[in-house]
Amino acid sequence: MHHEETFTDRNVSEQSAYYYVDIESYPTTGWDKFKQVVKRTFSGELFVGLWVVMREMIKFDIHTVQYPLEKLPIGPRYRAVHKLLRLWESGYERCIGCGLCEKICISDCIRMDTKIDENSRKEVTEYSINLGRCIFCGYCAEVCPELAIVHGDRYENGSEQRAHFVIKDDMLTPLDMLKAGQQSEYPGFGAIIPGSDAAVKKTPLAY
Amino acid sequence: MINFTINGQPVSANKGETILQAARKAGFYIPTMCYLEKTTPCASCRLCVVETDKTEGLILSCQTPPTEGLGVIIDSDRLQTERTNIMRLYDVNHPLECGVCDKSGACDLQNKTLEFGVSAQHFSAKDQHRAIEHWGLINYDPSLCILCEKCVHVCNEIIGDDAIELQFGGYKSSVIPKNSDTLDCTFCGECIAVCPVGALVSSNFQYSANAWELTQIPATCVHCSAGCSLHYEVRHTSNALGGESKIYRVTNDFEHTTLCGAGRFGFDFDQQSEKDEAEFDKAVAALQNASAIRFSSMITNEEALILQRIKEKLGIKLYNEEARAYQSFMNAYSSVSGKAGFGGSLDAIKQSDGIIVVGGRISSDNPMVRYAMTTAARHNGAKVVYMHPIEDDLLQNVITQFVKYEVGTEEGVVAMLAKTLLENADIGDELQSYFKELDEGYLCAESNVGDEEYARILKTFARLKRKTLIIGSDLLNHKRAANIARLCAMIETHTEFSVVVVAPSVNTIGVSLICDLDADKGGEKVVGYNAPGDYTMGSFADSMLKLPSLNAQEGTFVSISHQVLPTNVAVAFNGYTLNDIANVFGIEAQYTIDYTAQLPRNRGFNGTKFDDLGNFFGTLGEDNRGYTLDNIDVEVSGSLEEVETLPEFNGSVVYRCNPINQFNGYTQKTSQLEKDTTLRGSSQFAAAAKIGDGDKIRIEFPQGTQERIFKLDPTLKGTIALVPAYDVGFGVLNEQYRFEKVKIMRMGSES
Repeated sequence: MHHEETFTDRNVSEQSAYYYVDIESYPTTGWDKFKQVVKRTFSGELFVGLWVVMREMIKFDIHTVQYPLEKLPIGPRYRAVHKLLRLWESGYERCIGCGLCEKICISDCIRMDTKIDENSRKEVTEYSINLGRCIFCGYCAEVCPELAIVHGDRYENGSEQRAHFVIKDDMLTPLDMLKAGQQSEYPGFGAIIPGSDAAVKKTPLAY
Repeated sequence: MINFTINGQPVSANKGETILQAARKAGFYIPTMCYLEKTTPCASCRLCVVETDKTEGLILSCQTPPTEGLGVIIDSDRLQTERTNIMRLYDVNHPLECGVCDKSGACDLQNKTLEFGVSAQHFSAKDQHRAIEHWGLINYDPSLCILCEKCVHVCNEIIGDDAIELQFGGYKSSVIPKNSDTLDCTFCGECIAVCPVGALVSSNFQYSANAWELTQIPATCVHCSAGCSLHYEVRHTSNALGGESKIYRVTNDFEHTTLCGAGRFGFDFDQQSEKDEAEFDKAVAALQNASAIRFSSMITNEEALILQRIKEKLGIKLYNEEARAYQSFMNAYSSVSGKAGFGGSLDAIKQSDGIIVVGGRISSDNPMVRYAMTTAARHNGAKVVYMHPIEDDLLQNVITQFVKYEVGTEEGVVAMLAKTLLENADIGDELQSYFKELDEGYLCAESNVGDEEYARILKTFARLKRKTLIIGSDLLNHKRAANIARLCAMIETHTEFSVVVVAPSVNTIGVSLICDLDADKGGEKVVGYNAPGDYTMGSFADSMLKLPSLNAQEGTFVSISHQVLPTNVAVAFNGYTLNDIANVFGIEAQYTIDYTAQLPRNRGFNGTKFDDLGNFFGTLGEDNRGYTLDNIDVEVSGSLEEVETLPEFNGSVVYRCNPINQFNGYTQKTSQLEKDTTLRGSSQFAAAAKIGDGDKIRIEFPQGTQERIFKLDPTLKGTIALVPAYDVGFGVLNEQYRFEKVKIMRMGSES
C-alpha cells in the first residue's frame, strides 16, 4: 500500500501557527537591572529543581552506573579493542598468519612476524596493534578467514603515550579462560551469517 | 623470416622461433604454465595449445615452429574449454592453503585458476599422503607440486647440477633427488625461483613473509664478477623486533636471468652503525697521515673514483694487488689486441658451440660462467675443453675433453694452445717463426700434455663457428702473466675465438679501469678499506670506522660482460660513508652517486648519470641494465716473449679455492651459506701428506701458517688439495698465484 504523508504548509505567513513571543524589553537603567536580579533570585523557582533531586535521593532508587566500579554492557557488535581467539576443541590459536589483516588495515597499525614451526606449520610469533593509530574500522575482523581476530568488549584506551600497543599476549584468550568456556564468539563484521551452512557446496569425492 | 597469421593478423617469425615466441613478440597472449624462455620446452602443461588451419588436432605452440602461410587461432571456444579443463585438473586436490602459502599473491596456479574461473572441484581423485621433504636450504611439498618440470629443466639445462628428476607414477608422481636419498647439489636455488607454485621454497624464508608485503629493490649481486641481476626483497620486522627494515629474501627475474646460491641465499651481510663523530675524526686523521690506502675490489666504481681522487689530493698510494694483477694482465693483453677489454661476454659463452677453459676452477670461481657453459653445452651441443691441473667433478656433465697440465706450466700450455689454434690462421712470418721455434717436446713433457691432446682440440674446433676462450684467474697472478695475456690476445686477434677473462671480484674490472694502483710494498700507516691496515674502515665487525656494506650502498659495478651495472640500497645505513670522508678533504660531492657521471670517459664509461641507468629486463628479455662499456682502441705495441723454463711444483701442493657458494668476507658473514673451512683433498693427497680424514693440521704457507681440519673429499683426484681463502681475508684468493707449495703437519703429532 502506498503511504503518503499529508502535506502541511510550514511556511511562515500571516495564516500560519507561528507567532511572535512577547519579550519584555531589556532593562536599561541600573535600577531596573537591580530589580530584575532581585526578582529572579527570590522567585522560588530554584527550589523546584532542588526538590526533585532531594526527593529521588530520599527514595534510594538510584540509576547511576558506578563507573569505573560498574560498567554498562555494550552492544555485541561494538568494535572495541581486538581479541585473538582460540579453537574451542584443541585450544590452538585460530590465527594462521596469512597477513590479510596487516594488508587491509587502512591505518597501517598491525604488525606481525611469522615463521615455520617444528611441525612445518606457519606460526605467528609476534602480533601487535598500535591503538594510537587504530581507527577501529573492523576491517581486520571482517577480512580474517579464520575468525581469529575479532573485536572484544574492552573500550578503555587511556594511556600515557600516544603509541599504545596491544600485543599478542594481551589479545589471545588465555587457555584457562577457554577451558572455563569464557571465550565468546563475535557476532560483528566478518562473523558467520546465521544459516550459512546451507550455502556450502560440497566437493564431490566419488571414491 | 616465416610469415604466418595469428587470429587472422599477419605475424612473422625468425627461423627457429616457435609459434609461442612469435606470438609473444607480436603482443599476443597465449597462457602457459610450464613454459620457460631459457630452457627447452617442458611441454607438460598443454595450456599453450592452439588451432591451425593445417592440422586437425590442437598443437602445442611452445614447441612448434610455424610454417609459411600457416593460419593460427589462439583463442576459440574449443581452446577455452580445453584450457579450462586443464586448469580444473590442476586444481584437483590442490591443498586450499593459500592463506599460509608463500607463493600466494605471486602464484601462477592462483592466477590461472582465477583467469579460467575454476571455482569448484569437478573431478575427484583419492588423495595421497605426501610427506614434506626438507632438503637443507630447500623445502619441497609434493602435495603443492603441479609437476610442470620447470625445476628439472633448469637444474639440468642451465645449472648443470642435474640433481633432481621426476619420479613418474601417474597421480603419485613427484620431484625426487636424482640418484640420492637427499638433495645433493650446489644449492643455487634456481628451482625455487622457477617453481610456479609453493612446492619448492626456501626453508629460511618459508612462512616468514607474504609476497605482497615485500618491496623489491633491483640490485646487482656483489659476490663474484658476473654482476647478476637480483632483487633484494625487504620488509619491516614486527614492533617487538624494532620495526626496522630487513632483507627477507633475494629473488631474480628467472625468465631472463639465473642466480647462484651465494646470490640467492647470501644476502644478510649488512651491518648497522650510527654516526660516531670521534671515530670519524680518527679516520680522517689516519688518512691524513697515511702513506697508502689498501682496499679490496668489493667496492663500487664511484667509491673507487673517490679513492683515486683522495690519492691525487693527498699524494698517497693505492694498494689493491688483486685488481693490479688484473690491470697488468689486461695491459699486456691490449698491447697485442689493440682493444682495452677482451671481446667476449657471458652471452657470447651461452651462444658458443665451442669453449676452451684454461686455468681456473670455474664452478666455484664464477658460477655464471659455469651456467653459461652448461647452457651452451645443452642447447648448442657445445664442445667444452677444460684445461686445469685439477679435475672438476661439477663440470663432468659439460666437458667433452679434460686436459690436465702440471701446476705452474700455464705459460707453456697457453703457448702450445695458441700454436694449435693459430695453425691455419694468417699470422705473418714473425709469429709463424715464433711458434715454429717453440720447443714443443720440452713444453709437452714438462706440462704433461701430449701432442695428441692438442691435435684433438684442433680437430674438434676446426668446424665450429662461435668459439670462446675462457681465461681463469690462475693465469692473472702467474709469474709470466703478461706473456700469457699476449698469447691469449693473439688467439682473439687472429681466430674466431672471443675471449672472456674471469675477473675475481665483483668490481675488479671497474677498479682496474678507474684507479692508478701501486705495488703493495706494505709499509707503515696504511689505511685499509675492507682490507687489512693500521687503521681500518669498512663493513666488517672488526673495522674501526663502520662504512656501509655493498647492499646498503648505491653505485655501479663493471661485470665481466663489460656492463656498467647499477645497484641500490636495500637496507638503510645511518653511519658515515666514504664520501663524507672525501668531503673533509675538499673532494666535494653531495652523494656518492654524483660520481657516476664523472667516471673516466677515456676508459670507456659514457658519462650517464646514476639516476638514468635502468636496472630491469623487458618482457621479451631485453637487457635494460646500465650500459655497456665502450671497448676503446689502444696502441698495439706488445710482442711475444720467449717461453721461460717451466717451473716445477713438487711435494704438498694446495690450490686456493673457495667451496661452492663462498667467495669473500660477505658470504662468510651470511647465516644460510655453508661455511666449510676445511682443507679438502683426495685420498692420494692424504697418503702423501700422511694425514687422515678429520685430522687437525697446520699448513705452512710462505706468507704464514693456517690451522685447519683436513677433509677427505671422494670427488677429488690427484695430489693437489683445495684450501679455502674466503675466511682469511678479501682478495687473498687472487693476490698471488693460486697454487702454493706448502708444508703440512698434523697437529698433536709434533710433540
